[in-house]
Amino acid sequence: MSIFCLGVNHKTAPVEIRERLAFAESAIPHHLKEIRSLEVVEEAVVLSTCNRVEIYGAANHLEKALDQLVEYLIKHFEVGDDDVEFYRHEAEAAAHHLFEVASGLDSMVLGETEIFGQIKKAYLTAQSTGATSRRMNKLFQQSFSVGKQVRSSTRIQQGSTSVGSAAVDLAEKIFGQLDGCRVMIIGAGEMSRTTAQSLKSRGSKSIIVSNRSFDKAEDLADELGGKAIRFDEWANYLDQVDIVISSTGSPHAVVKKSDVAMVLKRRRGHSLFLIDIAVPRDVESSVNDLDNVYLYNIDQLQRIADAGVAQRHQQIETCRGVIRDFLNEKGIDALASEPSEYPERGSFNHS
Amino acid sequence: MDEIYLILATLVFLGGFVLAVVALRTGKHQTGRLNVWLAVLGLIFQCLFLKERGDLHMRCPITNGAEVLVFISWSIVILYLALGRAFRLSLLGVFSMPLVFLFQSVAIVSLMSNDPGARPPDSLDPWLEMHAAMSLLAYGAFGLAGIAGIMDLVLDRQLKSHAPGRLFYSLPPMKYLYDAMLRLMLIGTGLLTIGVISAFFMATSPTALHLTVLGAVWLVYAGILFVNVARGLRPKSLSKLSIAAFNFALIALLVI
Repeated sequence: MSIFCLGVNHKTAPVEIRERLAFAESAIPHHLKEIRSLEVVEEAVVLSTCNRVEIYGAANHLEKALDQLVEYLIKHFEVGDDDVEFYRHEAEAAAHHLFEVASGLDSMVLGETEIFGQIKKAYLTAQSTGATSRRMNKLFQQSFSVGKQVRSSTRIQQGSTSVGSAAVDLAEKIFGQLDGCRVMIIGAGEMSRTTAQSLKSRGSKSIIVSNRSFDKAEDLADELGGKAIRFDEWANYLDQVDIVISSTGSPHAVVKKSDVAMVLKRRRGHSLFLIDIAVPRDVESSVNDLDNVYLYNIDQLQRIADAGVAQRHQQIETCRGVIRDFLNEKGIDALASEPSEYPERGSFNHS
Repeated sequence: MDEIYLILATLVFLGGFVLAVVALRTGKHQTGRLNVWLAVLGLIFQCLFLKERGDLHMRCPITNGAEVLVFISWSIVILYLALGRAFRLSLLGVFSMPLVFLFQSVAIVSLMSNDPGARPPDSLDPWLEMHAAMSLLAYGAFGLAGIAGIMDLVLDRQLKSHAPGRLFYSLPPMKYLYDAMLRLMLIGTGLLTIGVISAFFMATSPTALHLTVLGAVWLVYAGILFVNVARGLRPKSLSKLSIAAFNFALIALLVI
């Protein structure tokens, strides 16, 4: 009896294939029952996310089990034999793979945390369906321990990995929680919308949108649940907001140092964070010289994101070292042999 | 034995600081909890030192410069342990440790070179004890506010430079530092107010110089808080003021 992993991910299959193989969340319990009813598969967990579709399991005859699963997937999802190539990991390699996935080392955005919750959910679904037993229980419990240890003892989660996340991280460094933060968007472009959405997802409220075309401002304000104002009015609101995102198509500076300096007194010590994602730049760079005002342009944000990505890549070996140390110390519990460990197949929980 | 306790406490704080710096450089954040335990261990040694000295003098051990420095260090550590987590400023301990190490090192040198020995009082004056203890606890709060000010200036510099370093990601947000500075100054001013009021009830009236200096320290901090309420101080201004005010308070202590 050993463990296996079969699947595709963002590195091995394009989105066209991944979307065809994706398990609908509500259908996973049903699929688990079908998989478990295959002749040689004793336990199974289905992990289906945007970037991966993987089945972890335990079987007596790994080769046979994996062949049966491939056949099942191809038949069920109607993909051609040549369209998809599943990777197969067995025994220690399967455990190592799950530990790396749980640690965010196999994610598209290296070190991201969402995958940890997705694995937990996948495991709980399988457990509640009765598709797991000793090996999968031990394997997934260990993966949670390893994942937590890797994240707490390395810098794999540290730093921003995109312009949007860099802007949000900086905003949080200035204001702490963004719950009460007020945001003003000058120029209703796509980048402004994305950045504002990132801020909103972290709790920012009271979004004001100003655009040369008032209709566009209204559309974006509606989408973000904010308020549209005329373009010539934005300066009147500068003392009421904490974050300004500027992305107009203006060939000249829109926000001048004198505009900001004038409202600083009225702000009573409140910090102001300006995100200038326009090219040519909308905000005079000398605005950053003002006390308590922080200005970042698109290149500066990109540099932070690049540095964050590079730093995370530098952490990969350290993370693998943590996983190795963990395994050297504790071994893979799921591979430890134990006599008569499996119940009769008839005991499968059909609830 | 008291000096041994003080040396042990000082070494523990030095160790905690070195450990924290290594952790920040390598990104091993799990040392954060160990750091808190080291602060607790250092506090225990401080308490043992103060108890020994208290037994020696048969009163609150604030009879010479070295003991005053240890008492302020003790206040800084105990306030950090009591409020650091509540203010979401676990890194405050890391920044506090060099100051505590410095104060205690000076105290060790001072005691080893010239320990004035036992100075039992003719009669115990609870108002004097209250005055001294509250004033020095206030110094602990002011010291922590100054340290939060340094952290804020470091963060401001990193934000302005557009090239955040490793420390940037470990520092708490500016808002938390700003709030912590204000709260610590408020706590410190409150404690100092009790200290000043106690001085008027002491059996032996304090000297005019003592009262003037103490009053000046109180005025400086009350003034900062008043200006902040009236006009709203910018974080950078508040940071600079909290550092300058603590330096002033230390110089004032030397004058007394």
